[in-house]
Amino acid sequence: MTETQPSREDAVAALAEVGIRASQVRQADSQLCWMLAALLAADLGVAVLLSLSPHRGSTFAGVGVLAMLVAAVAFAVIVGIRIRGYSRLGIRLYFGTLIAFNLCNALVTSLSIGSRFWAQGQPTYHFGITEAVGMVPLVVGIWLLSRRRD
Amino acid sequence: MSHPRHELDDLLGHPVRFSVVALLAAAEHADFGFVRDNVEVTDSVLSKQMSALEQAGYVKVKKGFVGKRPRTWLSLTKEGRRRFARHMNALQEIAAGNNLPVAS
Repeated sequence: MTETQPSREDAVAALAEVGIRASQVRQADSQLCWMLAALLAADLGVAVLLSLSPHRGSTFAGVGVLAMLVAAVAFAVIVGIRIRGYSRLGIRLYFGTLIAFNLCNALVTSLSIGSRFWAQGQPTYHFGITEAVGMVPLVVGIWLLSRRRD
Repeated sequence: MSHPRHELDDLLGHPVRFSVVALLAAAEHADFGFVRDNVEVTDSVLSKQMSALEQAGYVKVKKGFVGKRPRTWLSLTKEGRRRFARHMNALQEIAAGNNLPVAS
């Protein structure tokens, strides 16, 4: 309890500052967005590479997939180490997106294999389509996180 | 109905402490350096104010390492959030001009 009272202007200024501080934290959430973007880029890269590769595979595709996954993990780790602050909603969106992506990816892949949409004898781009559908939660998560920035 | 100033928190009347708590209120966790840079204070000023807030039970300080680098993570306690919310309500009332009428 205090005996001194801030003026109306002081109170308005203090309330405005709270908005600015919240905006600074939302901007810090963009690091989480970049980590998801790295995962999306790697997934997209693998999908494109394997869609263009022959059925029996190739050394180029194998090395390419490995390189993209390693690069994405390295990038995500570097960004993760640099995280200095995050909001409750931001971190929930981040982990929610990861969980939704894994579940969706597993479901779509299972359906694709089960229905023989992605199978031996089918065009290789069917793998790319399967992956593209599986990564929808990632795109939605990145969009939700990025639109929180002011 | 009491005057809204009675709901104001003395500890949050200090400008740096108010800025720190306002930042932490929006964050789940924040690094010491992140708070220092955004509130635009020196390490020593922030340390001093953090000690006051920690002693009052408003802020939780967690020290750790990322690789070999020491990291200090700050977060508001439940009590800190409750006090800040009450302080904010009082500020909103003052800003809205909902003060008690002057006795005639």
